[in-house]
Amino acid sequence: MKKIEYKDKGSILNPLKNLQFFARKPITEKLQPRPASASYRGFHINDMDKCIGCSSCQKICDNAAITMVEVPSIAEDASKGIRNLRPAIDYGRCCWCALCVDICPTSAIELSREYVHTCDGDETDSYFVFPQESGIHGLNFEKGWTKTKDSDLLDRERRPMQEMKPEDRIDNFDEIVDGFTMEMAVEEASRCVDCGLCEDACPAHMHAPNYIRSIYEGNLEQAVEWMYETNPFSHVCGRVCTHICESACSLGRVGEDGVKTSQPIAIRWLKRFAMDHVPKTKIKQIAKKGKATKKSGQRVAIIGAGPAGLTTAFDLVKKGHQVTVYEAQPKGGGMTRYGIPNYRLPEDRLDQDIEVIQSVGVDIQYNVRIGKDITMQQLQKDNDAVVLAIGLQNGRSTRIPGSENKNVKKAVDLLRMIPKGEEFEVPKSAVIIGGGNVAMDIARSLARLQKQKFGKVGITVSALETLGKNFLADDEEVKESKEEDITILDARGPVQCVIDKKGKLTGLETVKVVSIFDDKGRFAPKYDDSDKQFHEAEMVVEAIGQMADISVLGEELTEELEWNRGRIQVDENGSTSVEWLWSAGDMVNGPDVIHAVADGHRVATDIDKYLRKEKKS
Amino acid sequence: MSEKHKEGHSKSYKKLQGMKTLEEILDVAISFEKTARDFYSGMIPKVSKNIRYLVEELAEEEQEHFDLFSSLKDSPNVKKQLKKRIKTPTEDHKFSDFVQLLDLGDKPDDQSILQYALAREDAAMKQYQELADNAPEGELKDTFQFLAFEEAEHKLELEKKYYEIIHSGGPQ
Repeated sequence: MKKIEYKDKGSILNPLKNLQFFARKPITEKLQPRPASASYRGFHINDMDKCIGCSSCQKICDNAAITMVEVPSIAEDASKGIRNLRPAIDYGRCCWCALCVDICPTSAIELSREYVHTCDGDETDSYFVFPQESGIHGLNFEKGWTKTKDSDLLDRERRPMQEMKPEDRIDNFDEIVDGFTMEMAVEEASRCVDCGLCEDACPAHMHAPNYIRSIYEGNLEQAVEWMYETNPFSHVCGRVCTHICESACSLGRVGEDGVKTSQPIAIRWLKRFAMDHVPKTKIKQIAKKGKATKKSGQRVAIIGAGPAGLTTAFDLVKKGHQVTVYEAQPKGGGMTRYGIPNYRLPEDRLDQDIEVIQSVGVDIQYNVRIGKDITMQQLQKDNDAVVLAIGLQNGRSTRIPGSENKNVKKAVDLLRMIPKGEEFEVPKSAVIIGGGNVAMDIARSLARLQKQKFGKVGITVSALETLGKNFLADDEEVKESKEEDITILDARGPVQCVIDKKGKLTGLETVKVVSIFDDKGRFAPKYDDSDKQFHEAEMVVEAIGQMADISVLGEELTEELEWNRGRIQVDENGSTSVEWLWSAGDMVNGPDVIHAVADGHRVATDIDKYLRKEKKS
Repeated sequence: MSEKHKEGHSKSYKKLQGMKTLEEILDVAISFEKTARDFYSGMIPKVSKNIRYLVEELAEEEQEHFDLFSSLKDSPNVKKQLKKRIKTPTEDHKFSDFVQLLDLGDKPDDQSILQYALAREDAAMKQYQELADNAPEGELKDTFQFLAFEEAEHKLELEKKYYEIIHSGGPQ
């Protein structure tokens, strides 16, 4: 190697030599963009389609270099967990640590191998960049640092939930799901990235990230406090909620290389865990928080003690109004009691939710049928506002030939009889028509009764829809039904209930459904008449749909009200076209507990506003 | 409301069996739509208000068909063929069968009305299809096939409505 003579001072004239450069034209050598080495942490790139706007990148950034920017042209879909926010990077702050890449649930954000950006003084804002797929200068540089299975910061696996084995559960109505232990709950809660997509998706906007964090911190009372801010049916929702929150959860996304599955946080089970581990007396204290100390002197009547009616009552009582709920059945809960079997929702848990609501000051009058025991006119006269929340308690019939036979029953009627202890002749064999959760509920309930009485199960479910394609019931319901020896025949349409010469039901005839929807997703059933089957059965149960019993209204009020395609027309706050009447829950928004709870809040807020105005005037 | 809902008079539809010209067949088809329109329109004030929309929609749809079939009869291509004699099917009784068999009763609900409308569209669709099958190749056949297609489309829409209303908690 050549030795550099650095100690050589050189000529005394050397400084003068430099003068020659003053006359020369300066030369600027352009820095040509060229890729850095593989895995280099260059400028960000973001796949706008994969990005769901969850903001995890923003939250993890210690330098606050990321700002979520609203992009109006991107369609939002809260139920699918998609926001129209996309990250913008401030390269004055970014340290290229790539934590944003390692946390991103969908692997949308990555770093490129591009690292050169220059500008003059007027363009300093060009360091605030909205990364796109093509990179900072649209030059489509190769990817640098991207997420791998090893660098993924997310814990993709859900803590497994213990359940009763099929052979242990099939002859009883005991609750199937065991629930989390404290350790499992904390581990599960630790997976949450606090993105809040669950809260956006939840119809009641439950503060799931907050209560999950409280569970993680071991503060279960705090968790229940968060729950009661938005949901007085937290025991019920902790067990049977349709958990739209989990469908929206960013942890449910698969994105990065090497990870094939990713499971959403078990938000429903975490809710259940917290509710089950806080004493009832404490929950009552929590529920009372924020209750008005002064009575308004105004009265509200609510028809129906289901989730919508009782949520409305809970909110209104807390705002100082006097509320009476009228319930035709001997107990409250509506379809959650008289539609959901005990093995999914134990009665004592529902009782507790209702007891807490009553403890706040809600008065429930059971066994009172409005329209018969008290007229709507009387209710109007005695109250400042009336809420109709009667649910969808009547079952639809297929009305196929033979369906008028006495051994053709409706699922909702049987499901109502079972918790009441009302006896009916349990069939040795039964065919259920329908493929939704109600069909599964009655199939599994009858299966238990059959096992108790005959020692074996003889249930067939016949549904129009196709398993794994457009089947209506939840996957876990289908899985558990099959484990309980229930036969599910998908893509079969009912033709007739077969009746013998003596008028006795012998079974159901079905025909093969070739397709149920057309290419636009519209109902357009096509049948294969050459494939007909007979299913022997002592009982056929119809579980195809439900409707509200609007006879409660009477002809005059029915005529006075405005309707919207068969349902009472309500505005976004549940207010009907009749000034003193509101409507909420399944009868206006379809069957779902959490939607009913959300409805209850909206209606209560609107009634409170109405009553306050009325008071002023 | 004690009056039972039953459409038109079966007598007028029995006439179809004797008809031989396209003009006569189209006249019956048009009157079939008109009768249906009047039937549903007459039912509007009688059914419960919550399901009135259904009957109103059916009346509108039948009016559309009435207009369509009337304009078809007046179109120059069809006008040329109006006097052509057509071999009617041996089992030419779909309309009359329909009228005789279905009875909506005193107080029809949404399901009864939909089932009635579906059966009606089905009868009309089969009738036109049979006429198309018996017509010689050409414009005449195309005309009947068009009519059958129209009825089939209407039936499809009704089936969709039926699924939404009956197989769920009602339309969203």
